[in-house]
Amino acid sequence: MRGNVIKYAQDNIDTDVIIPGQYLKVHDYAELATHAMEGLDPNFHSKVKEGDFILSGKNFGCGSSREHAPIALSHSGIKAVLALSFARIFYRNAVDGAFLLPIEIEQDAYDAISEGDEIDIDISTNEIRNMTKNKIYKMKPFSEIIGKIISAGGLFKYKPDQD
Amino acid sequence: MGKTLFEKIWESHVVVKKQNGPSLIYVDRHLVHEVTSPQAFDGLRLNKRKVRRPDLTIATMDHNVPTNDRSLPILDQTSAIQIKTLEKNCKDFGIKLFDINSPNQGIVHVIGPQLGITLPGTTIVCGDSHTSTHGAFGSLAFGIGTSDVEHVLASQTLWLEKPAPFEIRIEGKIKNPHAVTAKDIVLSIIKHIGTGGGTGTVIEYRGEGITDLSMEQRMTICNMSIEAGARAGLIAPDEKTYEYLRGREYTPKNFESMIGLWRDTLKTDSDAEFEKQFVLHVDDIAPQVSWGTNPGMTCDVTDSVPSADEFAKGDLNQKKGAEKALAYMDLKPGTPIEDIKIDRVFIGSCTNARLEDLIEASRVIKGQKISHHVRAMVVPGSQMVKKQAEEMGLDKIFIDANFEWREAGCSMCLGMNPDILSPGERCASTSNRNFEGRQGTGGRTHLVSPVMAAAAAIKGHFIDVRKMDLS
Repeated sequence: MRGNVIKYAQDNIDTDVIIPGQYLKVHDYAELATHAMEGLDPNFHSKVKEGDFILSGKNFGCGSSREHAPIALSHSGIKAVLALSFARIFYRNAVDGAFLLPIEIEQDAYDAISEGDEIDIDISTNEIRNMTKNKIYKMKPFSEIIGKIISAGGLFKYKPDQD
Repeated sequence: MGKTLFEKIWESHVVVKKQNGPSLIYVDRHLVHEVTSPQAFDGLRLNKRKVRRPDLTIATMDHNVPTNDRSLPILDQTSAIQIKTLEKNCKDFGIKLFDINSPNQGIVHVIGPQLGITLPGTTIVCGDSHTSTHGAFGSLAFGIGTSDVEHVLASQTLWLEKPAPFEIRIEGKIKNPHAVTAKDIVLSIIKHIGTGGGTGTVIEYRGEGITDLSMEQRMTICNMSIEAGARAGLIAPDEKTYEYLRGREYTPKNFESMIGLWRDTLKTDSDAEFEKQFVLHVDDIAPQVSWGTNPGMTCDVTDSVPSADEFAKGDLNQKKGAEKALAYMDLKPGTPIEDIKIDRVFIGSCTNARLEDLIEASRVIKGQKISHHVRAMVVPGSQMVKKQAEEMGLDKIFIDANFEWREAGCSMCLGMNPDILSPGERCASTSNRNFEGRQGTGGRTHLVSPVMAAAAAIKGHFIDVRKMDLS
């Protein structure tokens, strides 16, 4: 997976700013995507490109359980969120619905990767390669079950009996 | 080694356990509302699946229902569609629904306990993060997203990795329980451990400071566990729990015969070990007021707004967060909290819209008028709370003070129904989240207890309610 980084250098990005409450009535995902990150960055929709990644700090996705949050990011073109840590419901929603990859990173990667950097994520080696800066960082590996659900393409495609 | 209450409930609900992996957990009760369920029902239809246990699934509409006159049509068409969709889904799949005209309608986390649907030792899920509320009854209850809602509808189970047990002990006695409340306890906890302090854990609240509380106060504490990042909050059931549930509409017929078993089993063993611990002494805690844009950005009412540096204690991201919060909230460091003027007051939400909350708030209001520059509303958590409050004459106390007395719903907690703040408006709110835009784009939220909100409505600014006569 290769793409460019949109960096929000802060902790505690909550699902209310990822997709504000007034849009929870919107069922059309393309329309929902036009409001992604609106509560934090009204320019997000105009700058995001297919295949981009978001980079952020601790406790990304805290607050409301709204699955609209990973859906809105996913339909904006975001393939992965890289963060120092995730709130658990957001993490689970992202994986179970196969909307995007929640990737936990270490402080070195968080500090070193800048807005606009092109990075390549390889989940088979748990490596993040910064193409712009020619550096490699380790990502925290997915747990066994999360890895399996991701490989299957979401919770409903995961067949536990075949384990 | 003994087991924690959480581990006992967990183990009694394991259907399948994978070695070194997750467990498939049985779900005893599934609560459904209009906002996070439509895609889940669509998924069932697409895959020609039924609801596995419609008898264990209960629905109501709370998030986007207007709280004005129920005889009027719903003007927002997208809300009206979501409400109609839930009606159709419940009809098609045979699920019990408390609709907008039902006397049992209300916020899902208020009606569950009130109807005796929430029971000790059970597992409860709902597509709503504040499902942690039900943990006050010794039930393992947590919020899920829509994909998981579909999974539970289809299978009555969920794959879960086991969270870590986290003990929070509340020690000591609150000196003035009318002025310092459960809301102040839980805000104090989050202020100390942070919004990520409970991530990956199930918190069990223990100690004298918890057993002293009523059931409704315990719900306020468990409700906000999610604001500390915890999966769930739990309190061991005791005689107050059983007394609360006795004789409610859906309390099971064999309730009395279950109590003996619950008394013996639903408690943490004396030699059990928690992976994490925190102790809060409540003897001298003050009423709490949030000043920032997450619930961890909270201070005593007697404090002043902190500077970003004071708050961050050297953490760069925390400093940036605090600077951004101060700018959004339009607050200057050093401003005494009591000098902050407010425009709106909201007494409501799944955190603080139960009968006891309204009784406590009404003590402050009685015989007084709200400040001329404040607009204030009370939104009871359920139609049943509203009816009980009216039977006690509380509605008159609020209306005489110029509060609006509304119909039940989530209302101004989350900015997705007609009850919202205008940009720049500052609100003393009894809800649970002060995120940017939570109560409406550009709205500024200060989280407080019902008593503190009521006092702020009267004074037009925050005030330490310990100075007031609340007897």
